[in-house]
Amino acid sequence: MAGEVIYEVKNVSKRYGSVVALDGASLKLHAGEVIGLVGDNGAGKSTLVKVLSGAHKPDGGQIFLDGAERSWDSPRDALEAGIETLYQDSGLAPHLTVSQNVFLGRERVKKGILGWFGFLAKKDMEHEAHRNLEEVGIAVPASNRSVSQLSGGQRQAVAIGRSVAWARKVIILDEPTNHLGARQAGEVLQIIKAAKKKGLGVIFISHTLPHVLEVTDRIVVLRLGRIVKDAPTSEFDGDTLVGTITGTIQTIKVEGD
Amino acid sequence: MKRSVRAFAGLGALAAVALLATGCSSSANTAATTDKKLNIAFVMGAESDPFFQAMKVGAEEEAKAQGVNLIWQGDPKNYSPETQIPIVDTVLAGKPDGLVLIPTDPTALQASADKAIAQGIAVANVDTHVNDLSKIVTFITGDNKDGGAKAADALAAKIGYKDGSKYQVVVGLTSATATTNVARLEGFKAQVAAKYPGIEIKDVAYSESNPEKAATNVNNWLTKYPNLNGIFAIDGTNASGAASALEAKKLTGKVALVGYDAYPDNVAKVKSGIFTALIAQVPAEEARQAIKALVEYIKTGKTSIAHEVVIPNFTIDANTTDADLAKYTYVAN
Amino acid sequence: MTDSNQLVAKVRGLVSNQASILLGVLAVLTIVFTALEPKFFSIATANNILTDWGSVVLIAVGQTFVVISGGIDLSVGAIIGLSGVVSAYFMANILGKTSATPADQAYGPLLLGALVSVAVGAFVGLINAVLINKARIVPFIATLATMGAALGLSVIFSSGMPISGPNDFNLIGALDYNWNPFSVAVIIVALVVAVTGLFLHKSRFGLYTYAIGSNAFAARAAGINVERHITKIYVLSGALSGLAGIYVYMRLGSGSPSSGTGRELDAIAAVVIGGASLMGGIGRMWGTVLGTLILFTVQSGLIMIGVAPDWKKVVVAILIAAAVAAQTLQNKNGRR
Repeated sequence: MAGEVIYEVKNVSKRYGSVVALDGASLKLHAGEVIGLVGDNGAGKSTLVKVLSGAHKPDGGQIFLDGAERSWDSPRDALEAGIETLYQDSGLAPHLTVSQNVFLGRERVKKGILGWFGFLAKKDMEHEAHRNLEEVGIAVPASNRSVSQLSGGQRQAVAIGRSVAWARKVIILDEPTNHLGARQAGEVLQIIKAAKKKGLGVIFISHTLPHVLEVTDRIVVLRLGRIVKDAPTSEFDGDTLVGTITGTIQTIKVEGD
Repeated sequence: MKRSVRAFAGLGALAAVALLATGCSSSANTAATTDKKLNIAFVMGAESDPFFQAMKVGAEEEAKAQGVNLIWQGDPKNYSPETQIPIVDTVLAGKPDGLVLIPTDPTALQASADKAIAQGIAVANVDTHVNDLSKIVTFITGDNKDGGAKAADALAAKIGYKDGSKYQVVVGLTSATATTNVARLEGFKAQVAAKYPGIEIKDVAYSESNPEKAATNVNNWLTKYPNLNGIFAIDGTNASGAASALEAKKLTGKVALVGYDAYPDNVAKVKSGIFTALIAQVPAEEARQAIKALVEYIKTGKTSIAHEVVIPNFTIDANTTDADLAKYTYVAN
Repeated sequence: MTDSNQLVAKVRGLVSNQASILLGVLAVLTIVFTALEPKFFSIATANNILTDWGSVVLIAVGQTFVVISGGIDLSVGAIIGLSGVVSAYFMANILGKTSATPADQAYGPLLLGALVSVAVGAFVGLINAVLINKARIVPFIATLATMGAALGLSVIFSSGMPISGPNDFNLIGALDYNWNPFSVAVIIVALVVAVTGLFLHKSRFGLYTYAIGSNAFAARAAGINVERHITKIYVLSGALSGLAGIYVYMRLGSGSPSSGTGRELDAIAAVVIGGASLMGGIGRMWGTVLGTLILFTVQSGLIMIGVAPDWKKVVVAILIAAAVAAQTLQNKNGRR
C-alpha cells in the first residue's frame, strides 16, 4: 500500500546541555503513508520534529531523503528539498490575506522591471491560492480576505492546505487539531487523507489519540527520548496506546525494520 | 517634620566632623598635598548648548593658566535638575577641591550645593544661582535683563521707531520656564513699555530647543502678521530658525531681526544684513572669573572677586569693530 | 434599487476607511482654524504646513516600516541632527563651499551633501540592526542607545554650534506664494514618499515587513530571513532620516545638532494617528502621510489663532487617543 521510503532518520541524538532530548531515534517514512508520532510531554516529540524539519541539527545520526544522505542547516533547506512543516498554532500571519499567507516565502513577482524590484503579481497569486486550496478540499470564501477575519478552524485549514499544496515529499504537522471543535478537526483529518492520496509522506504529531488512531497507518511512540514502539496502527487500540505512552505496557525496542 | 530636619542636621554635623577628622589626618603629610594639583569640578547645564561650549573654552584656558585640573561635567542634552542632581552627586563623590555649579533650578540644586559646602568644597555659581548665596564664594552672571533691553533698543532703531506710530513685533523663546529666556523677555518688555510704547508684542512661541521648530513659528507669524516689523529671537536656536525662515520667504532686511548669542554662524549673518543685531553674552569670561575666584579662595581663604559679579551683554551689529567681534564671538575647540 | 444599495455600500466603505476618516479630520481642522483666523485659509499657510511636513514625513515613512514590522526607531530625530551636521561639515570644510557660495553654485555640493547625509543615516540604521539582531537588544533600548550616541557625536562634531554651508533657499520656499504652495524640496520628498509607499504595499519588501510584524515565527517558518529583512528596515529608516537631515539643513542653511530634537515623537505620533499599530502588522502609507499633515495643520493652526503652544501637545494627545480608540473599535468589528 505504501510506496518507497522517502524520508528516513537513523540513530539521531540531540542533547541540550546535560539533558538527552533524543537518544538514538530511527524512523522511516514511506510515500503515501501517515505516521502518528505520540508521546508524553518531554518525550522528545518536538525535538524530533525540529530535527526532521531542519530547525535543529542533531548531535549524531543521519538523515536520508529519497535514499540520499542530507543535512539541514536551516528550515529553509528542508523546505526547498520538499519538506513542509506546520508548527502548532503559529503557521499564519493574521494580518496578511489568505493568498499572501499561501504564497509567503514563494511570492510570484510581476514580469519585467517591476518584478526585478520585487513587485508582486497579486491577482495571479489570489487566483492560484484559491485553486490550490480547493484542490485539497478547502473552501475559503475569498483569498483576498485577511486571515484575522477567518474562524479558528478556517485558519488551520488554510495553514494545512498551504503545507499540502506546497509539499513535494513530506509534510510534518505538529498538533494541527489542537483547539479545534469536532467538526473542524474532522475537516483537518480529511485534508491529511487528501495529502496521503497525493502520495506525500505525512508525520502527524498529536495528543488527541482518537485522531491518531483514525488517520494514521503506523504509530511511533516516544518515551524519554527513545522510540519505544513502532508498529502498524491496527495493532493499537485506545488503551494499549495510552499504556505504551505512559510505560505501563512493556515494550520491546524496535530496531529499524 | 521638625524632628527629621534636626536629625538631618545632626547627620550633616556628624559628616562634617568626620570630614574634619580626615582633613586633620591628611594634614599630617602636608608636604605631599600642597604639590598636588587642585581639582576643580565644573557642572554645567547642557553640553549641546553652544553657550556652554563657549564657556568650556574659557574654563579650560583658565584651568591651564592656574595649573589646576578641570572636571567638566553635565548632561549632554537636557537642561533639567532631574539629570543634573545625580551628576553633581557623582562629581562630589570624587571629592574635588572646588565646584563651579550652574544650577538648572535654584531650589532643586540647593541641597547639592549645601552638601558640597558641608564637605569643605568651595562652591561658585555661574549664569544662574541657588537660592541661598550666603556660603557661595561668588556668583558670576551675564545680565540677561539688560540684554533684553538692548534687544529692544536695537529693534526700535532698525524699524525707525517714531512716537505715535504703531509697530508689531513677536518673540521666539525656547520654553516658558528657561530662566535666561524669562529674564531676557522681562528686560525686553520693560524697555518696550518704558521707551517704545508704540511697539506691540503680538505673540510669543516656543522652539523646544529645535531650530526647525523656531523656523515654523516664524513662518506662521509671517502669514498671520503680513505687516510684522520685527522679531526678537531670544536665544541661539531661535536666532538660527528665524533667520532661515526670513531667507526662505525672501524677507531678510525687510523684517528686523534681533538675535541672541554670538554663534560664529550668526555673527556672519549680521555682516550680510540678515540679523539687525545680535546680543552676545560672555560665557568664557564668566567661567574664567569663577575658576580664578575658587582657586584663590581655596589657596588663601579669600578672593579678590566680588561676591556677585554681573557682566553686561554686548550688542553686535553691522558697526561692531573686528576686534570686538573677535572678542565676543563664541569660540569652540 | 441595486444602484442605491451599491451607493450605500460605497459610503459605508468610505466611512470605515482610515484614509477618509483622516481626510475628514483634516477638513474639520481647516474649517475650525479658518473660522477663528481667516488668514489660515491661504497658500502661505499651505506652504508653511507643507514645509514642516517635508522633514517629519520622511522619518515617519521610515517609522511606518519599522512599526509595521513590530519595532520602533527612537534614533530618527537624533539622526536628523547628526547627518545634518556631518554633511554641513563635509560641504563647508571638505568641499570648501561656505554660506557665501552663490546659490546657483550650491546644487552640486548639496547633492553630494545629500549623499553623505543619507549614508550617515543608513550607517546609524545599520548599527541599530546589529544591536537588535546580533546583540538581541529590544528595538526600544537599542535605538534609544543610538539616539544618545548620535546626539552626543553631533555635539562633539559641531561643538554644539550650527555649521553653515552652501544653500539655495529658493529650493525650500514656495514655488509661487500666490498659487503654488509646493517647493522643489517638498516635491522631491513627495516623490520619495510615493515610491516607498508603492514598495510597502505592492512589493515583496513590504509584504515581508507586514509578515514579520504580524507573526515573526510564521515568517521564519515560511523561509523568510527575518534578521536580514529587519536589517533592511532599520537601514531604510536611517537613510530616510538622513534624507530628512539634508532637508532640514536646506531649510536652515546650516547643520545643527539640535535640529531633530523631539522629532522621533512627532514621527511616532504621525504613524499612530495614521492608524498603524505599535504591536506590528498594521499600518498604511496614506495614514502616515495624512497623520503627519494633521500634526502640522494643528501646529500651524494653533500658532495662527494665537493659542499657547503647550496646547499643541494636548491636541496631539487627543488625536492619538482617538486614533487608538478607533483602531480598537475596528478590531472589535473584525475589520482591518
